[in-house]
Amino acid sequence: MKILIAEDEIALQQSIATYLEKDGNTCEVASDFNEAVYKVDLYEYDLILLDINLTTGSGLDVLKSLKKKKKESGVIIISANNSLDDKLDGLDLGADDYITKPFHLAELNSRIKAVLRRGKYGGDNTITFNEIKVETKSRTAYVNGKSLGLTRKEYDLLVFFMTNKGRVLSKEIIAEHLWGDNSDLADNFDFIYVHINNLRKKLTGEGAKYIKTAYGSGYKFIED
Amino acid sequence: MLISTITLYFYVKSLMRSEVEEELYSTTARVEAALSKNDIMFSLSPLVEITYADLISPEILKDTIIYDPSQNEMEEFRELSIFKEIKGKKYKITVRNLIVESEDILIAIILSYMTIIILVFMFLFYFNKARNNKLWLPFFTNLEAMKNFSITSDKPISLVDSEIIEFSELKDEVETLINKVRSDYKNLKHYTEDVSHELQTPLAIIQAKIENIINGDDLNDIQFETLTSIQKDIQRLTQMNKRLTLLTKIENNQFDNLESVNMYDRIVATVKNFQELSNVQIQISGDLTSPSVKMDPYLAEVLCNNLVSNALKHSNPDGIVKIFTSNKVLSISNQGSKALEHPEKLYSRFYRESELAKSTGLGLAIVHKICQLYHLEINYHFVDGTHSFTIRF
Repeated sequence: MKILIAEDEIALQQSIATYLEKDGNTCEVASDFNEAVYKVDLYEYDLILLDINLTTGSGLDVLKSLKKKKKESGVIIISANNSLDDKLDGLDLGADDYITKPFHLAELNSRIKAVLRRGKYGGDNTITFNEIKVETKSRTAYVNGKSLGLTRKEYDLLVFFMTNKGRVLSKEIIAEHLWGDNSDLADNFDFIYVHINNLRKKLTGEGAKYIKTAYGSGYKFIED
Repeated sequence: MLISTITLYFYVKSLMRSEVEEELYSTTARVEAALSKNDIMFSLSPLVEITYADLISPEILKDTIIYDPSQNEMEEFRELSIFKEIKGKKYKITVRNLIVESEDILIAIILSYMTIIILVFMFLFYFNKARNNKLWLPFFTNLEAMKNFSITSDKPISLVDSEIIEFSELKDEVETLINKVRSDYKNLKHYTEDVSHELQTPLAIIQAKIENIINGDDLNDIQFETLTSIQKDIQRLTQMNKRLTLLTKIENNQFDNLESVNMYDRIVATVKNFQELSNVQIQISGDLTSPSVKMDPYLAEVLCNNLVSNALKHSNPDGIVKIFTSNKVLSISNQGSKALEHPEKLYSRFYRESELAKSTGLGLAIVHKICQLYHLEINYHFVDGTHSFTIRF
C-alpha cells in the first residue's frame, strides 16, 4: 500500500514511516502544508495520514482540496487536539478516521488496516491469515471455515493481533486498545490474561497456535 | 452653647432688673407729684405704700420677698424706698415691682435654644441625608457591581462615573484592576490549554519511538519491562493531560450541548464497561425509572465513569461497590478501611490520600466541576466503613 504521512514533526513522521514500512507499505512524507497539497494533487495514495496542525496551514484544507479533486484515498486525521468539534469537522469533510496524539503505532496501524478494508477502497471486509479468516462486517472469525464463537473482546483482540502480526504488543497497548481511557483503572493486567488465554485456547483448539509470548510479558502474533 | 446660655441668662436678668428699677423711679416720681398736688395718702399694697416718716434717710433699693395671696406663693419683688419732705410733711414712699423669676428666664432661654437646635438638627439631617444619597449613589452602585462580579463570566462589569474626583478615580482603578485580573485569568487558561496541547506531540514522538525499539531486534526481557513501564508512565501523563484539558473546557463553558440523559441507562452502560476491568463487584439497585437530567451526554458519561472508577479504585479488594438510583438521587458507595483525613480537600486537584499510582487526582475535581456546571448537589459521607457519594437532581 502507498501511504502519505503529512506530519510536520519529523521525528514522529519518521517513526510512523519506519513502523509502517515493516509491513511492506511504501511511505512518502510531507513536512508542511504546501508539500502535502502538492503531493496529494500529483500522486495517488491508498491512504493519507493528515496532521491537522501543519506548520504552514491546516490539514483540513488539504482534505478539502483532496475531496474537490475526487481522489479515492482513505484519510486518517492525526490531531493534538482532543476536541469533539475538530473530530466532527474532519469526519464531515470526508475523513475516514480520527486519532488523537499521543497514540500507539499499533493502534494507528490497526486503524489504517480498518480503513483500507472498507469496501470503498477496494477492500473486501475480510482479514485472512493462513487458516484464520475474519469477516469484519459480521464480526465473526473462522478457522478452516469453522466459526470460533468469540466474545466481543476476544474478537477485538484477534483483529488487533492480526492487523499487527509480527509485532510485539505489550499488555499496556492491548489494554488501551480494548478499554481506551478506562484502562488505567486496572490495578493489574490479570483481566487481559483472561481474555488472551481464552482466545488462545479457542485458536489452539482448532490448531492455530499463533499467539506467542514475547520478552516474558508481551505478546506476538506470528507464524512459527 | 453653655457659655452663651449663661451669658444670656445674666444679661437678660440685669436688663430686666434695670428696667424694673427705672420703672420704680418713675413711679416714685409720679407718687411724689401726686402728693405735692393734693395731699392725699393712698396706698396700694404691696405696689405703692406711703407712710409718714420721722426723719429723712437716704433712699433704699433692695430685693424683698412678699407673700402673694392671689398666687399662693412667695414672690420676689424689687423695692425702692425714698424719704421726701413735701409741703412740710415727711413721707416715706415705698414702691415695689415684681421681678420675673430667674428660673423662668432660664427655662425660656433653654427652651428656645432647644427648639432652635432641634429644628436645625432635623433640617441638617434630612438635607445631608438627601445630599449624601445623591453623592454616594455611584459608590454604592459600583460596590454592588463589584460584589456581583465573577471572573469566570465574560459579562463586562458596568461601573458608573461620578462627579466626585475620588469616586471617579476609584472607578477607573477598579476598572483597570478588573481588566488586568481578567486578562491574567485568560492568559492562565490559555496557558493551561497551550501546555496540554503542546505536550501531545512530544508524547506521541516518545511513544512512537518506544514502539519502534520494542519491535526492533536485540532486546532482553529487562529492557522490554523498562520500556513497557515507560509506556505506562506516558499513558498516565496522557490521561492527566486529557483531564486537565477537560477541566479547562468545563470551566470555559465549552459544553453547550444539552440533552436529556437517563441516569440509570448511563450508569448501567458505565458499569458494563468497567465490570471486566476489576475484581470488585458492582451492584445496582433502586428505581429503574431514574430521572432524565438535562446535560451534555459526554459530561454525563464522564461523571458516571469518574464516580464508578473512583469507587472501584478505593474499594477493598473483596468489597462491593453499591450503586443506587431513584428519581431524585444517584448514590455510589464503596467499602473502605478508614475515613478521609481531609474530606474538605476531596474535590481539589491532585489531592490524593492514598499512594495509588494509577490515580491522576483529577477525577473527583472533574465530577465536582460537572455538578457545579449543572447545579447538581453532591455530598460525600463516610458511615460504618462505607464511603458514599450522593448526587441530588
